[in-house]
Amino acid sequence: MAKIALGCEPVVGSLTSSKKKEYRVTNRLQEGKRPLYAVAFNFIDSRYFNVFATVGGNRVTVYQCLEGGVIAVLQSYIDEDKDESFYTVSWACNIDGAPLLVAGGINGIIRVIDAGNEKIHKSFVGHGDSINEIRTQPLKPSLVVSASKDESVRLWNVHTGICILIFAGAGGHRNEVLSVDFHPSDIYRIASCGMDNTVKIWSMKEFWTYVEKSFTWTDLPSKFPTKYVQFPVFIASVHSNYVDCNRWLGDFILSKSVDNEIVLWEPKMKEHSPGEGSADVLQKYPVPECDIWFIKFSCDFHYKAAVIGNREGKIFVWDLQSSPPVLIARLSHVQSKSPIRQTAVSFDGSTILSCCEDGTIWRWDAVANS
Amino acid sequence: MPAFMASATVSAHLSDLPNYVQGSGHHNDPPNETQRSGASDDPSHGIHPSDLPDDPPKDAWRSDPDDDPPDNPLAIVLVDAKTPAALEIQAIIDVLKEQVASERTVFVKRRMEENTQKLFDVTKNLFKLSAERNPKINGTDQAVDLLAKRQKDAIDMQNGISTSSGDSDGNSPQEDGYASSAILLGSSIAVKNAVRPIKLPEVKRLPPYTTWIFLDRNQRMTEDQSVVGRRRIYYDQNGGEALICSDSEEDAIEEEDEKKEFTESEDYILRMTVKQFGFSDVILDLLAQCFSRKPDEIKARHEDLVKEGNDMGFTSNVNVDGSISSYLDKNLDAALDSFDNLFCRRCLVFDCRLHGCSQDLIFPAEKPPPSCCPDAEKDPCGANCYRLVLKLESDASIRSPGQGTSEEHLFPPSDASAQMPRRKNLGLSVKMRTKSSQSDGTSSNAKNICESSDSEIRPPIEVADAQPSSSPPKNKLVKRGGTQKRNSKRIAEHMLVSMRKRQKKMLASDSDPLESGTLGFKDLSLQSNSRKENGDESSSSLKLKSPNARRPRRISPALDNCKPLQIETSGCPPNLVMDNQPVIRKDDTSRKNDLLALGLYQHEVNDDKSWKPIEKALYEKGLEIFGRNSCLIARNLMNGLKTCSEVFLYMNSYDNKLISQSGDGANALIDGYYKVDGKETMGNGVRRRSKFLRRRGRVRRLKYTWKSAGYHSIRKRISERKDQPCRQYNPCGCQSPCGKECPCLVNGTCCEKYCGCPKSCKNRFRGCHCAKSQCRSRQCPCFAADRECDPDVCRNCWISLPCSCGDGTLGVPSQRGDNYECRNMKLLLKQQQRVLLGRSDVSGWGAFLKNNVAKHEYLGEYTGELISHREADKRGKIYDRENSSFLFNLNDQFVLDAFRKGDKLKFANHSPDPNCYAKVIMVAGDHRVGIFAKERISAGEELFYDYRYEPDRAPAWAKKPETSDFKKEDGGPSSGRAKKHT
Repeated sequence: MAKIALGCEPVVGSLTSSKKKEYRVTNRLQEGKRPLYAVAFNFIDSRYFNVFATVGGNRVTVYQCLEGGVIAVLQSYIDEDKDESFYTVSWACNIDGAPLLVAGGINGIIRVIDAGNEKIHKSFVGHGDSINEIRTQPLKPSLVVSASKDESVRLWNVHTGICILIFAGAGGHRNEVLSVDFHPSDIYRIASCGMDNTVKIWSMKEFWTYVEKSFTWTDLPSKFPTKYVQFPVFIASVHSNYVDCNRWLGDFILSKSVDNEIVLWEPKMKEHSPGEGSADVLQKYPVPECDIWFIKFSCDFHYKAAVIGNREGKIFVWDLQSSPPVLIARLSHVQSKSPIRQTAVSFDGSTILSCCEDGTIWRWDAVANS
Repeated sequence: MPAFMASATVSAHLSDLPNYVQGSGHHNDPPNETQRSGASDDPSHGIHPSDLPDDPPKDAWRSDPDDDPPDNPLAIVLVDAKTPAALEIQAIIDVLKEQVASERTVFVKRRMEENTQKLFDVTKNLFKLSAERNPKINGTDQAVDLLAKRQKDAIDMQNGISTSSGDSDGNSPQEDGYASSAILLGSSIAVKNAVRPIKLPEVKRLPPYTTWIFLDRNQRMTEDQSVVGRRRIYYDQNGGEALICSDSEEDAIEEEDEKKEFTESEDYILRMTVKQFGFSDVILDLLAQCFSRKPDEIKARHEDLVKEGNDMGFTSNVNVDGSISSYLDKNLDAALDSFDNLFCRRCLVFDCRLHGCSQDLIFPAEKPPPSCCPDAEKDPCGANCYRLVLKLESDASIRSPGQGTSEEHLFPPSDASAQMPRRKNLGLSVKMRTKSSQSDGTSSNAKNICESSDSEIRPPIEVADAQPSSSPPKNKLVKRGGTQKRNSKRIAEHMLVSMRKRQKKMLASDSDPLESGTLGFKDLSLQSNSRKENGDESSSSLKLKSPNARRPRRISPALDNCKPLQIETSGCPPNLVMDNQPVIRKDDTSRKNDLLALGLYQHEVNDDKSWKPIEKALYEKGLEIFGRNSCLIARNLMNGLKTCSEVFLYMNSYDNKLISQSGDGANALIDGYYKVDGKETMGNGVRRRSKFLRRRGRVRRLKYTWKSAGYHSIRKRISERKDQPCRQYNPCGCQSPCGKECPCLVNGTCCEKYCGCPKSCKNRFRGCHCAKSQCRSRQCPCFAADRECDPDVCRNCWISLPCSCGDGTLGVPSQRGDNYECRNMKLLLKQQQRVLLGRSDVSGWGAFLKNNVAKHEYLGEYTGELISHREADKRGKIYDRENSSFLFNLNDQFVLDAFRKGDKLKFANHSPDPNCYAKVIMVAGDHRVGIFAKERISAGEELFYDYRYEPDRAPAWAKKPETSDFKKEDGGPSSGRAKKHT
């Protein structure tokens, strides 16, 4: 990585916990033997804010967080293909607001599950290799975007089952895409990152008519004129190794590589030359023992905190609104030793879930500070 | 040891340091504290002598003499000489650094706060949306939402349970049925058994592939796609271990690239320090240390800053002006710069992906004559056509008879014969115009040639027809005479009219009607008429004029402006004038200080003013392309800038200017002009665009390495070694038949139509002269040379186009016969078969044929990215790891890589017993890979071809007996380094 120039140094957070908040383990459950790769709360529909889903192996499971640390299993889905290994899950809904679960994994097939009717809604075949992440557009939750090993990012309409756009080609990723995220307010914008060590910001503004068309398309989805978006509007080389998770924080981007830290940076685009620009690294959030790839962090609904697990089963809760960064809490439990692949934070940040390589789910609840 | 000495001195002076620093603080207070507000508020930003000894960088400086750059003894000596100053500077720099850092913190904090505020609104909106999703479903969806139901069940159950068994350990008895399907989990229940799982039916997955972009023609790799010099991390899918691959050579490249721009704060520190201490080597050194850059880098930056600072003062005005300026203020060369850089002269497209931008400009030694479409001539091109304007003016001039007569009287008698018809003519034209409605019949007769019955163009024709001397039979004769005569007739008319007009102008500009210049001018032109037309004197004025107008062709071959076509294209008094140049020059001594000339000049000056440089340049270009046709020039080049009549006027005044200049002994200039012009038209290769300009305005520059190596000529290659790869062709810029130094010859390629050299060049590939349908055998020199026929080069190779363009007359060579097309142009014409992509019967993906094809039929092109061999080696390493490669050797310079860009044929699998073969073919100067049927293939069959791995490089699954390998090689030089999934 390039040396940071004078006057552009990031503000690095201290690992001394501020003890702003305390969490303790309230539940732990073993879902199975296969690693759990993703856990996600439903932020799409306020009725289901306490519902979350996990994926691991060929299984997708829906839970509910109840008071007193109780977790209830609501639904469970199993792919008939035993070799399927789901890597990611995201909540979405069709245009009527019916809850959908979108999951993908090693087979490269996106499964859209109608959670309201407990059956498969659609399966999207198209990606040429495994799917590493799926995210939902919060403003239009029928749109999901998927990141794949086939070096592409694809935009899908889960309502009509259409692959609208493919973000790949001349300016696309040059290795697996590991993570992707929708901008929270700019509906045209997504950021993706992957094994080519770059973070790319894409705009679908010029292609928005296709997105609209996808909602009214009545013909076969395969006949839809899927478009390639070949050039990102911005390419950042903030990291020097795999970038396995990126999330928008307003107009900034949080991203992490395998360097034991999450980096917050601002993309500074050049107005008239798309694709060029610089990344201004603002802050760094150290996360010790976080040097393996495919460990993802998560935020609460209001982006007040980022939560990330590490290789040794510990969790770090960073305040996202302070400068310099403040470590809200460091969570550890003697029995939590397995790498935490993904975390999930409840709507208000009071509950933290972690899913681990050993197939366990941990629930941590905030302790009211007296 | 100077280094040691230095350190000693430094420590010796250290005790004095506070004083020095304090002193300097006093001296230099203002710049430090006023420039950045807030600096004085914060005590840490001031200079605190007590802090200084503890400053870490200075400590290091003091205590570790060996850390001093040993390669820079001079600097150390300098430091030695002025140690106190050095320390002082160091202190200041440190303070500045600290200040920058704290400002950065403040900046980040502010940005964070702003962002947080923005996020607050965003999430508020998102929450609103998420809350709105509830009623929608309740209102519209009658069906039970099972998720909501399960949710409710769970809560109910918990309420029931929590009364009995507390919270975290509550496990529920497994209940059957749907009554309550949710399972509450405590800490230790395995989920697997808890809920009846819902099965997701299996869906067959696709064979793996990497997302690729369809290419219908090859593209050259852009720099940013190179993997050379880039680190790549592999991971073992099973072990999950990552492996960073880079070799030392690549790392070196990476470091080289790491030249960063100076940041604002670096500039700030630099500026402040220099401001306080002036500019010296010591400062340079210390700053270099501080920024971890090289001193010379800092020096350069300082100079830049100083320059910038100076500029700031007075450029502001200039900038304002500059912002207004549009492309019109550029000259044509600058405007054409992007054309030169971005337009591909081989593919005739902008931004050609195959040949790239910033190609070497090749100007052909032979240029085609100015193009024109003769038929377009008779119509005024628009409301501002010069024809219309001329008409008006001639009207006007005739309505001032006094002028006309006064002139007449002045003509010497010898001119009378020539003069008279003209007068008649003009007079008649007036009459005719009044009659024009009645003479519609005649003009419509003439329509077969003069197409549209636009009344505006009719008058001249009618005038001619209505000449007193031209009796009705003659009239017919004229019609039979055809376009040329008619045109010339009209041209003659125009000539006179415009001459008249010019006279009028002259008179207007000069109060003296007796002006000799005017006379001379007029005389001369008319004299020449009579001189040329001696024999025809007695014939009708019509006849007299028409040869006259054509005259220039015969008598002035040197004046290339007057191409044959051009006579048809415009009424051209200037031609006349030019013809008479020598005569005029003779007379010109007397005109030296003519008022007339002055008048002309004035006119000219006015014109000059209203014509921007770019317009002038465009006009010149137009002259080159279209000849002296103001209609075409205005329509095609000056659209929205100048009207046809303006162009016409300019054209005339331009010539006038030349003539009048000649009077001032500027003959050489004229000669020069025409020489240049002639050269341009002749294409003797004067590059008018300066190299300098091209370089400066370069938009994007892609670097390509043009390797050239002495190889055998292409013909030898064909007959000799088959395994030798073909040579990449680059057009040469030779302006004369290529000699030994011609790059094509040196490189061992033929010259092609894109070369600058004339067609007579010995190194040119001359195409074939095959009779019909013979280009598919080795008899055809093109075919034998692994080239496609080129309609531009071969004698009999063409295709008949379906009549899709207009009347269908375009593109059909009428004498060559119909319904024939050369069958050795399939790649050029993209006459490929429909290829389908599907699951291979062998492995992974496969390519299939939609229709039956015969043996040797062309199936399609194997397209991809053109990459260098070096790049291919690097990429190959990566592909080999994935056991899938789409590399294909193209020629000595390039390898095709279809991994991310290509077409469906890249999925055709390898087979030692294939039904297709690949062949590298030269198509219009480019090597391309065609896939052909080796045998008859029926619809739906999967395509296979022999990848022809080099024996030592073939993967195990592609290995085959050596003998057969050699046999296969004789199909061509296309030893594929190819590809694919095992």
